[in-house]
Amino acid sequence: MRRVMLGVLLTGALFAMSLGGCAGEPDEGGEAAGDTYRIGAVLSLSGPQAGLGEPERRAIEMEVERINEEGGVHGRPVEVLFEDDATDEAKAVTAASRLIEQEGVIALIAASGTGQTMAVRQEVERAGIPQMSLAGGSVVTAQFSEWVFQTPWPNRIVVPFTLGYLRDSGVTRLGLLIDSGAYGKDGYDVIMAEVDRFGIEIVADEQFNRGDTDMTPQITKIRAAGPDALLMWAAGAEAATVLKNNAALGGDSPLSVYGGPGNGRIELIQGAGDAAEGFTFSAGKILVPEAYGVGSDEYEVTTSFIDRFTERFGVGPDIFAGHAYDGIYLIVDAMKRLPEGFTPEDLRDEIERTDGFIGAGGTFTFGPTDHNGLSEDDLTMYRIENGEWVLVGQAR
Amino acid sequence: MGGTELLQFVLAGLKNGSIYALVALGFTLIYAATGVINFAQGEFYMLGGMLSVWAYADLGLPLPLAGLVGVMATAAVGGVFELGAIRQRKDGDPLALIVITVGGSMVLSSMARHLFGPNERPLPLFSGGGSVSVFGAVLEVQTIWILGLTALAVVGLWYLYNRTGLGRAMRACAVNRDAARIVGIDTRLMVTVSFLLAAALGALAGLAVTPLTQTAFDVGPTVGIKGFAAAILGGLGNPIAAVVGGLVLGMLESVSIAFISSTYKDAIALIVLLGVLFVRPQGILGRSRREKV
Repeated sequence: MRRVMLGVLLTGALFAMSLGGCAGEPDEGGEAAGDTYRIGAVLSLSGPQAGLGEPERRAIEMEVERINEEGGVHGRPVEVLFEDDATDEAKAVTAASRLIEQEGVIALIAASGTGQTMAVRQEVERAGIPQMSLAGGSVVTAQFSEWVFQTPWPNRIVVPFTLGYLRDSGVTRLGLLIDSGAYGKDGYDVIMAEVDRFGIEIVADEQFNRGDTDMTPQITKIRAAGPDALLMWAAGAEAATVLKNNAALGGDSPLSVYGGPGNGRIELIQGAGDAAEGFTFSAGKILVPEAYGVGSDEYEVTTSFIDRFTERFGVGPDIFAGHAYDGIYLIVDAMKRLPEGFTPEDLRDEIERTDGFIGAGGTFTFGPTDHNGLSEDDLTMYRIENGEWVLVGQAR
Repeated sequence: MGGTELLQFVLAGLKNGSIYALVALGFTLIYAATGVINFAQGEFYMLGGMLSVWAYADLGLPLPLAGLVGVMATAAVGGVFELGAIRQRKDGDPLALIVITVGGSMVLSSMARHLFGPNERPLPLFSGGGSVSVFGAVLEVQTIWILGLTALAVVGLWYLYNRTGLGRAMRACAVNRDAARIVGIDTRLMVTVSFLLAAALGALAGLAVTPLTQTAFDVGPTVGIKGFAAAILGGLGNPIAAVVGGLVLGMLESVSIAFISSTYKDAIALIVLLGVLFVRPQGILGRSRREKV
């Protein structure tokens, strides 16, 4: 009997915890209101990429409320239906088809990760609705689909920008340390394709896997090759471990480490501590909006978003929240430009006509062959000094 | 490649190896008591780091106390898991129990995700930063902690197994459960104790590594697989074998990076694992089953 009681208690406790965790979730689904515009969002709210999906959901939720307070679109409210893909491609496809078939969404924000983004493409193309991806893989827009748009700076823009900065800093011999996941591989392919153009030689080329606890063997090998600098292409928590291992191995002469937008996370500074000092990486201007120039339209848009987000959630938005902000507004902005009664196909055409839309990640100008719409002008270099992001300006 | 660099690879291998060894010890303890592979072992590693971070950052406890809380609380989770889930399966069918541990690992990581959030969280180094030079190679002070804690755990286990009544009872269970029950040993209690110990060992590893790597709700499975491989490589059911397996696996990875490629380090380590098992299916130090009969 006692054992049964314990089982019941345990089950009860688990149930209470899962309820507690769900209390803050938005009301999903909801009754179909004939006069609302429904947009679907497939995000990674659990699984390894939950750190991306959660801020994305918050940003969309907050901005949709704001859009509706200001009268919605054509006087009709906008509703975003969230689905969790659990960082799983198959679940992303199921979620997308549910949103399309059962909820009749007119556009889909999907997804947090590159893998899930590519996986739902067939559903989107079959249904003929526009898809707005929040994932940074170059493949998202390089493998072009007329239905798919992308808000983050893809590696094919960020990598040449970063290599240009390295060249201007006098780096000719470069060591690479790459995350073996999709984001790192994508960056690696672009690096290898572009590096010759910048007169840089790759002298060491090492990888690490997600969840690795120690990168000293890789860094030891890279150091032995005598590079001028180390370029790390990684988005996960392991980046902090790399910086720590490098600082420990280097002693008085650690390698200078460079990185990309995946490293623009406050967790990196918290995790690496002193070892993060001097780390230099490329990213969009949302981390320090002054990069846009104080008083510019971009500056006003971005700081307004940062202020509202910080006030509501108690933490500042990261770059992923910024990508979601751009995603929802690129769709809603196009909807507002269309007359009432538009079709999803009209919406796709109108999004493609976006010209000079100012978002948190930069200024978007789409075209029939450019569904990312950003350029190197939307990027800048940061260095971590005294535990904060400091602008080091454009290389060229 | 110079001697200093070679030594650096050896030190890295020892460091990773002793982490794997601690996790492998947990696998081995539970296997000895139940004949089951506990696939939630990686989650104990995660919880050890995560609960210590929680005690340190959220409760504001000093670091040594927070670490103690993290390890004890994880041990308690291990015990509750055994009482609430494993023991409920009365017939002890190994296949069913393994499935229960797989489910348990999912429950534990989802709960950690809900309670502590999706992002990685840091813990300060035990005794500040810095490193010492060993013949020119660099040894981080935290690595000395990891090696020391592993050594302490091994000595503690050896003492428990060879010098205490409880340890002898556990060994008796491992050799022959029915015979142990006949001589009056509470075999069920021994299973619970081994889950407590396994959870504490996993938690100790998580606690020692978190200052170097941070921790997150999803770090368990990767380390769990490595620890499992180490336990198999050494020979299941024998604590010394688990430590040997862990150190060999850590060295293999490090040497693969040094002489072949970091791209294939896990593949190379697993190919060697398969090769060893082909020659010695019972593991490097494992006793073959036939001897037992």
